[in-house]
Amino acid sequence: MSQASTQSPETDAIRRAEIDRSLRHPVMFFFTSGAAWLAVAILLGIVSSAKVHSPGFLDGCSWLTYGRVQPAHLNALIYGWGCQAAFGTLVWLMSRLSRQTCRAAGIILTAGHIWNVAISLGVIGILSGHGTGVPWMEMPVFAWVPMLLSYGLIAIWSMIQFKVRPAGHVFISQWYALAALICFPWVFATAHIMVFGFSGSPLMAAAINAWYRSALLFLFFTPTAIAAAYYLVSKVTGRPIYSYTLSLLGFWSLAIIAPWAGMQKLAGAPIPNFLPYLGAAATILIAIPAIAVGVNLLKTAAASPETVAHSPSLRFTLAGIVGLLVTGAACVFLNVPPILQATQFTLSGYGFDILALYGFFSFIAFGMIYFVVPRITRREWLSSRLIKMHFYISIYGVLFVALIALFGGVMQGQAQEDYAQPWENAMTYAYPYAVATTLAWCFLLFSNVFFFLHLTLMWLRLGRRSSHPTLLGGHHAESLHDSIHGPEGDIDNAGPGSAPAPTH
Amino acid sequence: MSFRQFAFGLTATFGIAWLAVVIVPFFMMRSLEPVSFSEAADGKEGIYHPKRTGRVANGAEVYAANGCYTCHTQLIRPTYAGNDLGRPDWGGLKMDEERGDTRRESNAFDYRGEKFANIGLNRLGPDLSNLGRRVEAEYAKDGDPKEWLLMHLYDPRADPKRQNSTCPSFRFLFEEKQVLGQVPDDALPVQAPVGKAVVATDAANELVDYLLSLKRDDAVPASINYGPAAAPAGAKPAAAAAEAPQG
Repeated sequence: MSQASTQSPETDAIRRAEIDRSLRHPVMFFFTSGAAWLAVAILLGIVSSAKVHSPGFLDGCSWLTYGRVQPAHLNALIYGWGCQAAFGTLVWLMSRLSRQTCRAAGIILTAGHIWNVAISLGVIGILSGHGTGVPWMEMPVFAWVPMLLSYGLIAIWSMIQFKVRPAGHVFISQWYALAALICFPWVFATAHIMVFGFSGSPLMAAAINAWYRSALLFLFFTPTAIAAAYYLVSKVTGRPIYSYTLSLLGFWSLAIIAPWAGMQKLAGAPIPNFLPYLGAAATILIAIPAIAVGVNLLKTAAASPETVAHSPSLRFTLAGIVGLLVTGAACVFLNVPPILQATQFTLSGYGFDILALYGFFSFIAFGMIYFVVPRITRREWLSSRLIKMHFYISIYGVLFVALIALFGGVMQGQAQEDYAQPWENAMTYAYPYAVATTLAWCFLLFSNVFFFLHLTLMWLRLGRRSSHPTLLGGHHAESLHDSIHGPEGDIDNAGPGSAPAPTH
Repeated sequence: MSFRQFAFGLTATFGIAWLAVVIVPFFMMRSLEPVSFSEAADGKEGIYHPKRTGRVANGAEVYAANGCYTCHTQLIRPTYAGNDLGRPDWGGLKMDEERGDTRRESNAFDYRGEKFANIGLNRLGPDLSNLGRRVEAEYAKDGDPKEWLLMHLYDPRADPKRQNSTCPSFRFLFEEKQVLGQVPDDALPVQAPVGKAVVATDAANELVDYLLSLKRDDAVPASINYGPAAAPAGAKPAAAAAEAPQG
């Protein structure tokens, strides 16, 4: 941690409280509007996946046809929830780790509103039949320029904060956060300019789109989530990261491997042959950074099993880390040649995306939200039961998603490859997994109702006024209080000056 | 790790991959070298130039905006990448009345005229690379292909053989028109309220035009023909002559 060790704990705590206060509005805005978009995405997800097995469901309305609801669902999930949760995470992490108060809260907040207006109009555009038909980039072309510009206004301050940080050791989270901040505009602008701006081969546009979908996942959501995970695990347990070498290996292997991945989605298409091969190989190798990061963080957390059991942030984060390992395993499994051949055009494409976006990224984002919101609102979470419900039911949902991605797609794909059978046979095989997708989204809706309710109460400043964090243990373990958030973890709800008070 | 190392490292790791898989291939594919037929192998001379008729560009927009690509692909993979060519009517027709087996894998010229190749994400429905061919030769063998497709879009489950289809109905691409006299020629043969007729909108007509233009089984020059059985009918004598000594 980049501790300015010359400072006393008291001034340190005041500094943190100042930083949190300066970030209250923008970060809370990203988290709450992200959660609202998550609700929209889940509802659209239920509608769209229900249509796969029951095509008569909400039939006949052009706005709710499957081919529009499904892209609207994914765009809401990615740009509404995912990106905004990531922005909140990155802005907060960069300020805290660079030890700078945010001086541009108003601009970030304004840019956040522009982002929301752009994606709202974009999603409405998709539903009203103006989608572009480019996966993950379906929003009508008017949306992406304002999105990119508002992103610039959101992110530039974090980069400046990094630039003017006090000298000293840079925490691994900062490298990940900085990489995510730099890669997002690069990837986003490249894909949109190459697909919508230049006229080139329609096939290459499709290939770049496949690369974009992969790069957004592995070069933006993944580093953001890993940055948050490194921060949370070491902060909440109060322990240094298990191995610095392993964290470097994890970082550089991701940076080297991830940009090559993605075009295996077009295996067999008439594009230069090396592209799908490279894509498949790189995606398989994603397992290396996944394992390096996973092992490093699990080892760090394993030293404090009690904290893991009691801290909501840590529990979500570690579940997300397990999600990362499962995602890494799925990268290998789904891209070895015989399986790739079978699953290329099956439910496992979607299942994998949701596994990565929800089972990995969102879980860590929830961990981050459970950690950050009490600090910026200066209120504690109301109920450990609500958090537990959110956690366990989400796990059920994600298990279904993993089942679809890893098993359902293979079943469907093998039936597809069996060309001696009539095509309807393959659809029969897909059917149960389509039902499972709907069930998964129902679970995720149910679990997130608790989250939405809880976050709304926090947003209304109805949280507990206490300096005791809400813990998940059956008893409110007083003895754990000191260790639970580490030396920096206490929340000074009585005002900045009272920070060092808890000495029990 | 210093900031300098970080900045250099990230620029290099990301930049090299970015150039190698995005930028360079983009310009490689931007101007495709035309492929020629040759007298010896194909029995004819000239540039391979697949023709497509109909309102392809408009129809592709309707196809994209209504998310057909979420369930349908347009890609016949070579055999090393999948078994698409095994199906009797995906890559072409196994038994075309005039040309024999016309099945072949997709090639880079197949997507001409479209801004974005609708490769697709999932096969909840069949591949559409040769839908136009399939409708004309099989589904609407004795009828009007256009009407068959319009009916299919209006109600995919109307045909008793397709009761289990999960394709959504695109009724919203049709409108009910007041009939003042003669029933219009293009009215769909479906039940409509008294005094009204169900007629396809422009969007539906464009979409059907586009779908009927999907006939990607034309004979390709031998230099890009990787299938053993896809020799075009016109080239048979020459091809046979070329193969004879080996046999």
